[in-house]
Amino acid sequence: MNPPLNLGTLLTDSITNTLDVSLPLFRPELCLAATIVLLLVCRMLPVLRHADSAVVALGGVGFGLWYAWCDLKSLPAGGDLLAGRQELFTGLLVYDSLTAYVRLVILGFLALYIVFTRVSGIPDREDGADFYALVLGASLGMCLMSAANHILMLFMAVEMASVPSYALAGLLKGRKASSEAALKYAVYGAGAAGIMLYGLSLMAGILGTCHLPSMAVELAKVAHVGSDGGGVMVLSLGGLMLAVGLAFKLSAVPFHFWCPDVFEGAAAEVGAFLSVASKAAAVALLLRVAFGLGVPAASLGVPAANGASAATLAALGDTRHFMVYVVALMAAVTCTLGNLAAYGQTNMKRLLAYSTVAHAGYLMMGVAAAIAMAGVTATGTRDAVTAVAFYLGTYVFMNLGAFAIVAVLRNSLRSEEISAYAGLVRTSPGIVVAMAAVLVSLIGLPPLAGFVSKFLVFSSLVEAIASGAERPLMLVLLVVGGLNTVISLFYYLRVLKVMTFDPPPADRALEPFPLVSVPGAVVTGLVLPVVGFGLFWSGLYAAAQLAGAFAS
Amino acid sequence: MDTAAQLPLLLGLAWLAPLASFVAILFFGPRMGPHGRNAAWVATAAIVASLVLSLFAAGAWLGAHPVQVSHHGSGDVAAADTHAGDHAVDHHPVADSVAYSGDWYTLYRGGALRLSIGWYIDALTVLMFVVVTFIATCIHVYASGYMHDELHDVTDHEVHLSGGGHLHRPGRFPRFFQALSLFCFSMLGIVIAGNLAMVFIFWELVGICSWFLIGFYYERKSASTAANKAFIVNRVGDFGMLIGLMALWGALGTLHFADSQAIDGDVARPGLFSLVRPAAGGHAIRVPDGMVKFAAAAEVAKTPPAEVAGKIEDWRSMGLGRWLLLIAGVGIFCGCVGKSAQFPLFVWLPDAMEGPTPVSALVHSATMVAAGVYLVGRFYPVLTPDVLLVIAYVGAITLFIAATIALVATDIKRVLAYSTVSQLGYMMLALGVGGWAAGLFHLVTHAFFKSLLFLCSGSVIHACHTNDMRKMGGLARVMPWTAGTMLVGCLAIIGAGVPFVIGLSGYYSKDAILAQALAFSRANPAHSILFVAVAGGAFLTAFYMFRLWFMTFAGEPRDHHVAEHAHESPAVMVAPLVVLAVLAVVAGWTLPGGFGLPNLLEQARPVGTAEGMTGGFAFGELVFPAEHLSHEGAVHVTATLTAFATAAAGVALAALMYLLRIISPAVVATIFKPAYTFLAGRWYFDELYHAMFVVPALAVANLASGTDRGVIDRIIDGLAWTARQLAGVDAWIDRTLVDGLVNATAAATWNAGIELKKLQTGHLRQYVMFIVVGTVALFVLASLLFRTSLAG
Repeated sequence: MNPPLNLGTLLTDSITNTLDVSLPLFRPELCLAATIVLLLVCRMLPVLRHADSAVVALGGVGFGLWYAWCDLKSLPAGGDLLAGRQELFTGLLVYDSLTAYVRLVILGFLALYIVFTRVSGIPDREDGADFYALVLGASLGMCLMSAANHILMLFMAVEMASVPSYALAGLLKGRKASSEAALKYAVYGAGAAGIMLYGLSLMAGILGTCHLPSMAVELAKVAHVGSDGGGVMVLSLGGLMLAVGLAFKLSAVPFHFWCPDVFEGAAAEVGAFLSVASKAAAVALLLRVAFGLGVPAASLGVPAANGASAATLAALGDTRHFMVYVVALMAAVTCTLGNLAAYGQTNMKRLLAYSTVAHAGYLMMGVAAAIAMAGVTATGTRDAVTAVAFYLGTYVFMNLGAFAIVAVLRNSLRSEEISAYAGLVRTSPGIVVAMAAVLVSLIGLPPLAGFVSKFLVFSSLVEAIASGAERPLMLVLLVVGGLNTVISLFYYLRVLKVMTFDPPPADRALEPFPLVSVPGAVVTGLVLPVVGFGLFWSGLYAAAQLAGAFAS
Repeated sequence: MDTAAQLPLLLGLAWLAPLASFVAILFFGPRMGPHGRNAAWVATAAIVASLVLSLFAAGAWLGAHPVQVSHHGSGDVAAADTHAGDHAVDHHPVADSVAYSGDWYTLYRGGALRLSIGWYIDALTVLMFVVVTFIATCIHVYASGYMHDELHDVTDHEVHLSGGGHLHRPGRFPRFFQALSLFCFSMLGIVIAGNLAMVFIFWELVGICSWFLIGFYYERKSASTAANKAFIVNRVGDFGMLIGLMALWGALGTLHFADSQAIDGDVARPGLFSLVRPAAGGHAIRVPDGMVKFAAAAEVAKTPPAEVAGKIEDWRSMGLGRWLLLIAGVGIFCGCVGKSAQFPLFVWLPDAMEGPTPVSALVHSATMVAAGVYLVGRFYPVLTPDVLLVIAYVGAITLFIAATIALVATDIKRVLAYSTVSQLGYMMLALGVGGWAAGLFHLVTHAFFKSLLFLCSGSVIHACHTNDMRKMGGLARVMPWTAGTMLVGCLAIIGAGVPFVIGLSGYYSKDAILAQALAFSRANPAHSILFVAVAGGAFLTAFYMFRLWFMTFAGEPRDHHVAEHAHESPAVMVAPLVVLAVLAVVAGWTLPGGFGLPNLLEQARPVGTAEGMTGGFAFGELVFPAEHLSHEGAVHVTATLTAFATAAAGVALAALMYLLRIISPAVVATIFKPAYTFLAGRWYFDELYHAMFVVPALAVANLASGTDRGVIDRIIDGLAWTARQLAGVDAWIDRTLVDGLVNATAAATWNAGIELKKLQTGHLRQYVMFIVVGTVALFVLASLLFRTSLAG
């Protein structure tokens, strides 16, 4: 069937494909890349040396955001969803509604983040260009993670997102804790990456391809034909090793050890970046891998010439079953351990690090429900992915808000210990109210955004139970999720208790933090959506539904 | 911009300006100058803006629809006679009737129901806007003088505290203007409303404003009682109105007056007017299909759907659905009975005079109480002959009862209040006998002279600090402006004028009513009593109005203490009197060329009513003569002479008794003692309602509370006691067992957390070890869980 190989036509084909199809849909990433170059060039040219790098970065991100927004807008809403799917760069990347949505979340977060760091002042003028170049570089990697369609690309993207993060963790150059955090992060990351690379090479070796949809087809063949036990065994091992790499990015238990140390050592601003953007990209990548390998490509619009059909969907049942178990167990453990370990923390950033771990667990529950329902009920799958996407959208504001408050309080209190916040309500009630909104949203109480997110995730678990997909496991997940929400009440509310009821320390000579100020405005701007999305969530939900469409 | 786009914009802004003032005073009232003095300016500026916009709208209207000399020429009448019954021929002002309608904002849309904020603008709307905003402007100016007491702390001498002293409270100047602004907004909302739902919303809003304003001195028991009475009595009427609304919506699925355009996905729908008076039938009244089907529900269920449409005509001719239309009409009229203080719900209006006098003038004489009349006029196309007859009789009874009570009342504001009730009865009666233009014409002229009369009475009360006419007398010397303008008002209300030549505004409107009533009586001899009521009412009106004027202004002072302190009111209060007096004189005039209120109103005449109407099933066949016929020949002459004679007789009798003192009122009262007592007791309506409604309601309430206390509370107390005993046991279990368990769990969780914390050693070497351990653990777990699948 293949046309005769002709270098000339091959070249022209690939050039036209690159220029006409791939590059236009790659514009947001191109914007980021160009901005990085611009930042570095500014540094070298004497004329532009004094340009504010935050402004340059914000400009570049603004362009990227605009393109990402246009891309999301131009997706067919509710119509032919598969028409929007495009494989880019000869199948290395895939562009679909999930890519568009996650990219928008990451870039949107980035824009807010740049404004917030500019105000909180953690990269000083000297470091600004480096800091933003690193942040943009990592974000570029995260965008690629959300679009990876090829395991080589997957690995590249993960590394591209990770390496700048290591450097970011060590941003506070003078501080020992910061350097230590960077070192731990780098070594831990290298270990995880090594294991993941090993797993990937095992899988590629057995299946003979690196293209995710093609791998699914091969997997189906293996499952269908039933090879000798060795093949399946090796494949399972490879899959588990891949899971280790993803778990590292998600900071899922038991690969979360880096997380509290890095968060405590690095600046709060860096913590915010790692806990939000990195998490969003990792969840997107998890969805990519799970659906790439577990759901036959035919249903995702890859030409039927690949030999995929509805029959393979059934053939991949075991694969999905395996994945659901791994993801669900990890989710349950991550959630529980994250919440329990947050007890008794005295450092706010460390507490938030464990909170991040716990939230990764909730997110993975949604992913587990989505995979479980694939092949059972299409709308259920879609709802579950929608719930996860919605969760990501609100999580941006909750967590960025929490870290922003930590950062501005650090600037005025010179401390990040919870005990230092005692009695703050007497001098700065505004910031305490903001903190309360954020923390209560993280618990997931109405009427805040966190409630809606959690509600959607749990309701997709219920949907899975109702549709009979992996019923006992989903039931366990639901119970674990509910219990964890109760557990988490305690440590979040303890912070509020300290802020409101405890007497302020005698030696505090603190200017009351005014909410009417530039940092106050930033905090307010981040916290308002937490309330807003709790009350008016239909807009974000519609966008998340678009993202969910990728799975239907 | 064409007129169709201009008018909603101008009138819409005129409608919203008082709302802006209300909001501003609500939030910033107390900060507007010392004691909120500037609130008066804000409210006045808003209402002046409304007036200016309304005048612009009137200009736009007249520019687009110049007022024609009316089509009452004899040639037309002849033509109408030749074509009697031939409605398809359009040779009457029917074609001139123009209305603009549309929606600003749709509140809710579900099925056929569309609740929206919209407009229905015709000549009547524009006229009402000008009248309401004009009178409101005068009254705002007047009130900014009258209410000056509220600018500082007030000692209310009518409130006796238990300690023996009087109530001392801060002034409420901004609050008054705030309520006044809200009232103007609500009233204009009724006038501009494009559908009955919106009318109902603003109907209730004016009710609330009325409650605020009557109860302005809420520390006085009489004022708060009066406010509650007004509100509750109005609810009775509104209950009927709700029934009417339900009948219309349930059967017709729309509450819009006019046909609505197709907007965002909704199809164009016919409005109430064209449903009841379809253009295809020459705008003759007809039971709409929806009501026929509703009434014939049993038949419809038996008939195949395809044949239903064909059978509607049969069912209609059988009379199905006509009762529903009757109920709808009477239901809506019930609302008007409450709001316009008609029999039997008129009892609230005299008590409403507890409010400040500017409120009495604006709300309880000129505008709000006229809203009922306005709604009957607006809703006229839907009213069947039977409903009109009900309206006519209610109006007649009201006008008679109220006029008789006014004969003996001694409180100056109460005389005016009963006079208002009586005049509203006039308007209702006029509408009920087919005098659409006559009734609304009287509404406008009455608004001018009655607000004038009230403001004059306010000026008198301001000067004398009493409402009792028996303590007044001879005030004309000290307050000439007030006396003069009040005389103009009295002359206007009795319809004084030189017959067939010229007269005050009331002369024209009252003549029109008398003429129409006479024409109706001649066409329906069985109902001639209506004309008698009108003519008798005219006599009584003349008597009690001049009794009031003579007692107040003529003769010698009866109470020297009062007379010594009396003084003319300040210019800010007199100026509105003069302006209103001028209008009370000229409002009824028709200028050469035909420009005048009657011809302007003809532009808004509902289609299909110009020719008169025949029909009716509940009270026999009724004939409503065409209104223009009553302006012709013998009917007109008889009516004018009757009006003049009765009014003159009334004035003469009043003069004999109170000016010349030839007949002693005291002697008359003794001779007719039973009648006098009956009238002074206000026909004992309050007592009757007390016995009929209040006492039974209280009895039921007492019974209920007795049951509650004696039976239910006992049971509950018993249950509570049992529950307490059980709770004691439960508390012990809770404290020892449950709390122990919970505390143990919490401690366990806490310890688990602390233990987990220890895992985080911070040693990098261990962390890397954990990666390997974790991966291996994962392998082990997976191989345990998936033993079978891994084995192939």
